Amino acid sequence: MSPDTPAASTLVAVDQVSYQYRRSVSPSLDGISLQIRRGQIYGLLGPNGAGKTTLISLLAGLLPMQQGSIQFAGQPLLAARRATPSAVALVPQENAVYPMLTVLENLQFFAGVQNIRGTLRAQRIAEAVHFCRLEQVTRKPAAQLSGGLRRRLNLAIGLLGDPELLLLDEPTVGVDPQSRHFLLDSIATLRDAGKTVVYTSHYMDEVQTLCDALAIIDQGRVLVQGSLAELAASERTQLEFRLQAPLPAPLRDALQQRIGLQETGTAQYSGLLPLAELPRFLVELQGHGCELRNLAYGQQNLEQIFMRLTRRSLRD
Amino acid sequence: MYPLFALWRKEWLALMRDKHGLAALFVMPAVFILIMSLALQDSFSPSARLELGYVIVDLDQSSTSAALVKRLRAQATLQDHGARSGESQATDEIRQGQHAFALLIPAGFGRSLQADKQAETTAHKLRLLADPTIPKGVELSFRNQILAALGTQRANEVLLRLQKTPLGGNVKEIRIEDWQRQLETVAIKADTAHADAALPSAVQQSVPAWLIFSMFFVVVPMSAIFITERQHGTLQRLRTQHVSYALILAGKLLPFFIVNQIQALLMILVGRYLVPQFGGDALVLPSGAAQIAGLWCMAAAASLAAVSWALCIASLVRTSEQATVIGGVGNILMGAIGGIMVPKFIMPAQMQSLTQISPMAWALDGFHEIMLRSGSVADVMPYIGSLLLFAAVTLFLAILTSALAVRYRS
Repeated sequence: MSPDTPAASTLVAVDQVSYQYRRSVSPSLDGISLQIRRGQIYGLLGPNGAGKTTLISLLAGLLPMQQGSIQFAGQPLLAARRATPSAVALVPQENAVYPMLTVLENLQFFAGVQNIRGTLRAQRIAEAVHFCRLEQVTRKPAAQLSGGLRRRLNLAIGLLGDPELLLLDEPTVGVDPQSRHFLLDSIATLRDAGKTVVYTSHYMDEVQTLCDALAIIDQGRVLVQGSLAELAASERTQLEFRLQAPLPAPLRDALQQRIGLQETGTAQYSGLLPLAELPRFLVELQGHGCELRNLAYGQQNLEQIFMRLTRRSLRD
Repeated sequence: MYPLFALWRKEWLALMRDKHGLAALFVMPAVFILIMSLALQDSFSPSARLELGYVIVDLDQSSTSAALVKRLRAQATLQDHGARSGESQATDEIRQGQHAFALLIPAGFGRSLQADKQAETTAHKLRLLADPTIPKGVELSFRNQILAALGTQRANEVLLRLQKTPLGGNVKEIRIEDWQRQLETVAIKADTAHADAALPSAVQQSVPAWLIFSMFFVVVPMSAIFITERQHGTLQRLRTQHVSYALILAGKLLPFFIVNQIQALLMILVGRYLVPQFGGDALVLPSGAAQIAGLWCMAAAASLAAVSWALCIASLVRTSEQATVIGGVGNILMGAIGGIMVPKFIMPAQMQSLTQISPMAWALDGFHEIMLRSGSVADVMPYIGSLLLFAAVTLFLAILTSALAVRYRS
């Protein structure tokens, strides 16, 4: 993590926030606490229904606070948003653009409703068009844009108000690899421009390469948070192996207790094992007559951490 | 104010690019006006026994006038609403819509019928006071029934005189044209400039009726834009940008209001210039400044009611199917009940009372007051008031629906 300098000071502090929808039997957020530093790209990971959208909606002001508090730059979020309405911008998962309007008309409209006018409007639109490389399509109706271009327009609209905090809700869903890489590169440059970004995605590789810090949430709770390096260091090393035949029952039960052994296929297993214990493990296998066919050992990637923390069961 | 301008501009651009919505707003009513004006031109079923009624004002009180009234009552297809003692009472009641006609029998009518001199006969001619909203066909039918009764009466008078006169006596020839000159029709409420204006035609029923119907049809393009905004998440995006729902609604009001005013102008032009090209009657408009102002006030009030209703429906629905069912069918029902599709005057009395539950009927009555009776702004104030109240209620419901939707979702 970066040192606690003024530049790296906390921009958003989510403290014990809980939220329950009216017709829901359980809370969507259950005492969540997060710290998002200024100039960070902060990844928010979680399976469907984990509470990501609820948290994003609270940050964007789409939902009222119920319990807990959210501080923005040291003051309550609501007051901060009142003082500077454009301080927080949401780039929603849907392409929230008007298909019947051209790219330029969309930008002019969204600048207009934010009361951005005159030369500032022209300047902001030009910057957003340039940032998202939309110069060639400004006169084209949004309905005629490809999925990737529409995503870029969606992002450009979010940038018009020059927000301090940009909430990106799965911004690369449904785009081709070229547009995806372009968007990821663009988002990375936002950090250089001093923007703070909250980034939700189901693509672990995106979060792994893009984000400075992240939180994995599930069932309304933060399971783990910190930088990727911190997360990896806090976890034991992943072991995956395949045998000629399934493990004998006594050894299987013992390993389940000791290394959290999981059966991932026929005679195929995984578990978490400190490096120091690896030789003993191999001897143990040999002692029980187990013939090793394949073994992989190393630090867990984000997806493995995610899957371990959120379990493998399917979500809605 | 600047965000509101941005919303107006966006709404205008979106609307202008919605070809189907524009077709529904402009082509549909123009075609309806043309077809219905031509189709209904001669077919307001004058021979059918209608719920329309008439009163008799017998100022002559002679045996001749009594006999004429008796004959008329025996053969008239309209309802007999009885007798009135004076012209002013009958005129007032026609103005209030209680009767379609009043037959005024002047003092001296009986004597004049027995006179030989043509001048004396026509000096005491009958007067038929008519509600100008009643179609020409119905008026002609009733007029012919009066003339038939009058002809029989005159024939009787001649026979009586023949019986009393020695053979070879001097009996003048009596021609049918003389009888017709003995009945004058007066349209109630026409100003002096329009004292001789024609009674309303099919086009004068069709133009305001289908104009109102098309104004209320803004529900279709407005719902389409709203649904698009909801599905694409732009409404949600606007909320994150501190754009209130009331401001969003205000952003839709003006563009659709302007569209309604263009509709009004175009439909009037269709009635005035296009319908005659196909053999129909031309739309007759009042020429006074007060009437033109009244006409615009009615168009504005009808538009506000229509746009507010559309905003309410658009706030309520979530899919195009719902918009079609609630908005489209709702409009058709309001039109059917409100005398748009079926002229009010040919409905039974109970149905005529029922028309008053439809805001389209309030608007139609207001337009008729101006276009046919040359009413002023003051005359249409009750209709304008009702429409504005309807607009306020539906607008409130639109905002309430949105607030409840946000609360329900959270």
